[in-house]
Amino acid sequence: MLVVALGVAAVLARFGHAYAAYPFLHVPDERAATGDAQALGQRAARAATALDRLRPTGTYLVVDTYRNRLHVYRDGELLRTAICSTGTGIVLRDPRTGREWVFDTPLGERIIETKRRNPVWAKPDWAFIEEGMLPPKDPNERFDDVSLGKFGLYMGDGYIIHGTLFKSLLGRRVTHGCIRLGDEDLEFVYNTTPIGARVFLY
Amino acid sequence: MGAGDVPPRATQVAALEMELSLARRPDVYLVLNPSARQLEVKVRGVALDRIPLRGVEKILHVPLLSASSPPPFPLPAVWRVVDGPGDSDREYIAPTELRPYKAEGYDDPPAAATPTRPGAPPPTATPIPEPPASYRAQLDCGWDLWITETLPPLGFLARARAAVRDGWERLRGRGTHPRPAITLAMDRDDAKRLHHLMRSGMPLLVLADP
Repeated sequence: MLVVALGVAAVLARFGHAYAAYPFLHVPDERAATGDAQALGQRAARAATALDRLRPTGTYLVVDTYRNRLHVYRDGELLRTAICSTGTGIVLRDPRTGREWVFDTPLGERIIETKRRNPVWAKPDWAFIEEGMLPPKDPNERFDDVSLGKFGLYMGDGYIIHGTLFKSLLGRRVTHGCIRLGDEDLEFVYNTTPIGARVFLY
Repeated sequence: MGAGDVPPRATQVAALEMELSLARRPDVYLVLNPSARQLEVKVRGVALDRIPLRGVEKILHVPLLSASSPPPFPLPAVWRVVDGPGDSDREYIAPTELRPYKAEGYDDPPAAATPTRPGAPPPTATPIPEPPASYRAQLDCGWDLWITETLPPLGFLARARAAVRDGWERLRGRGTHPRPAITLAMDRDDAKRLHHLMRSGMPLLVLADP
């Protein structure tokens, strides 16, 4: 019986696959392995200088969209870390047209394009569809001067760093893509961050 | 370059130039340094996050006694994520029908956005599914990128058991054929964080040994 079982197992093992690990070996890319030492040195210096020029100076913001933290830096020095709320990542589908909106906070680099005190939110269609309502025909019905708090820093494409009525949800992914901050943090960010400042989101 | 400076290796220069081409765009990119066992999340040349790796392996699903080994990669290289798990594992919401807008009706705020009023229950967030700690993303180099907390058992006995099991499944027409994978083992929370970040088209710069 044992011999038969071992025989069957051996046959099955002959046809079966299993995971095997191999070291992460590599060879130099042929396109890379060209040029003498002097030429390579010049290429390296050029690339390093160009990379340095891309790095931020002055005041800039870094937003960790997983941990929901916003950091304010000036010339590489961390000035403040704030708890924020970022996008849920949920997709909303319009039942009439099939159009979809992804409630993501964008990743990568953005620029603070404008800043406003007492910002007014012109609600887009999704804000009504999410509530199960048709968007209103009268544009005046779209304006909301309460939800965004006292300050707004606009990053383009409708993404704003703004305040919130829902302080207990700070630190969680609950927004439609905007970044919400508590009142004191928002005022600090508004006063510290100039128009044109870079925002790095990851 | 000074007289005492060591000239850079061609692969280092190539990696620097590849990173420069990625950093010229405003998008997030990943830099994998296999020898340092580190994955960096970068934008514009700035390292925003560093993830230590417990292992970097090429893992293939092969016959138990296979003698072939995969060819080495030409590195440095930039590969791109074809199907980002951060894009594909999303929750959808879709109202079945829309009622006419009423200003007073809109004053009933959604559960996720109810401001706290005295005596009112605290607002609750729409629950977001917890990201997995083990998942695969296709790369445009033909391999998968397998992010996992723990590597599969790779000892001979464990592999023999897996081969018997897979042989039985193949006999029943239910065998699996996982693609070869560049496997990065990391802490659970790091794997979840990376799942959140990894979007379709995201570049991965893989460095050669120093």
